[in-house]
Amino acid sequence: MTTDSVPAGADPRRLLSDVRALAHRVRLDQRLTWVALLVLAVATFVAIPFDYVGMDVRCVNGGSECQFSRDGVLYYWPAALLIAYTAIAFCYVRAARARGLGARVLPYALTGAALAVVFTTVWLLARVYLADPPTEPFPGWVMVLDRLVAPAGTIGVALLVLARLERNVALLVFTLGYLAVVLVPIDFGWTIHSSVRAEFIPQQVINGVVLLLGAAGFAIARRRQR
Amino acid sequence: MTAPDPSPAHPVTGLDDVVHQRVRLGILTITHEARRVEFGYLRTQLQLTAGNLSQHVTVLETAGLVEVEKGYEGKRGRTWITLTAAGDQALAEEIGRLKQLIARVETTSTPEER
Repeated sequence: MTTDSVPAGADPRRLLSDVRALAHRVRLDQRLTWVALLVLAVATFVAIPFDYVGMDVRCVNGGSECQFSRDGVLYYWPAALLIAYTAIAFCYVRAARARGLGARVLPYALTGAALAVVFTTVWLLARVYLADPPTEPFPGWVMVLDRLVAPAGTIGVALLVLARLERNVALLVFTLGYLAVVLVPIDFGWTIHSSVRAEFIPQQVINGVVLLLGAAGFAIARRRQR
Repeated sequence: MTAPDPSPAHPVTGLDDVVHQRVRLGILTITHEARRVEFGYLRTQLQLTAGNLSQHVTVLETAGLVEVEKGYEGKRGRTWITLTAAGDQALAEEIGRLKQLIARVETTSTPEER
């Protein structure tokens, strides 16, 4: 860009190239991806003791048959997700404003909050309609759907929205990897069978570590860009 | 006698001088991406003096393509610029015409036609 007035016959290729470069620069300056992932990683790690302590476990036949209800998840995550998305939106708006820009984060925060409501509703409905444990195990697709509407799954779906808003290909790739870890689920061979309560710990730790590594990666990439 | 087929207008004829200017196109682009942009950010990105940028912003404001809002953050004066609906449309049309121009240049720049 120059201070000179450019005649109407300016090279259209160069003008278009300048337009794209400026738009890209603004998008980079608006991004705060690492903060979003860090907040979500912290929320995931804090959830672990809530899930462990808040789980209602009832065993019969000397502990060979157990029923459990993850009450801690239901009490912790709706509030935690709403607080997390509010915090992320606040940080994005504040950072963008400090740079002299508007922020694009609102649709992401609203999607995240809406998904938190969906998760809470589905889990409450499941509790009402599945009060008696099923005699047959659920088919695989039901379990994938269950993981998708669970907090870790909704975090991934909302991140897809953020990737779209920011036109952030790196975040899209990261999110697809994260969703694969959550939905398959991928536990890297780490399992704990000492108790029902402890069985859920490895996957939650893995989900949190993936988010934390993502936050670190995006923070390093941002530092290099500046 | 039949009238000759009117050939489609050359994309250049539709260019708007207010928008088809490198600095003003830059202001519109940044404002479009940022939703709302501060004067200082525009000055840094476009590498302009305050006076020069102010002139270009005034041209866009007079044409109804941007809105200018002045205020304070603490004791510091801040000027925020927002794209209007007309500005959004003008930018989209300008980019469309630039793409048409490029396509036209590429289809007519064969060695025989040069």
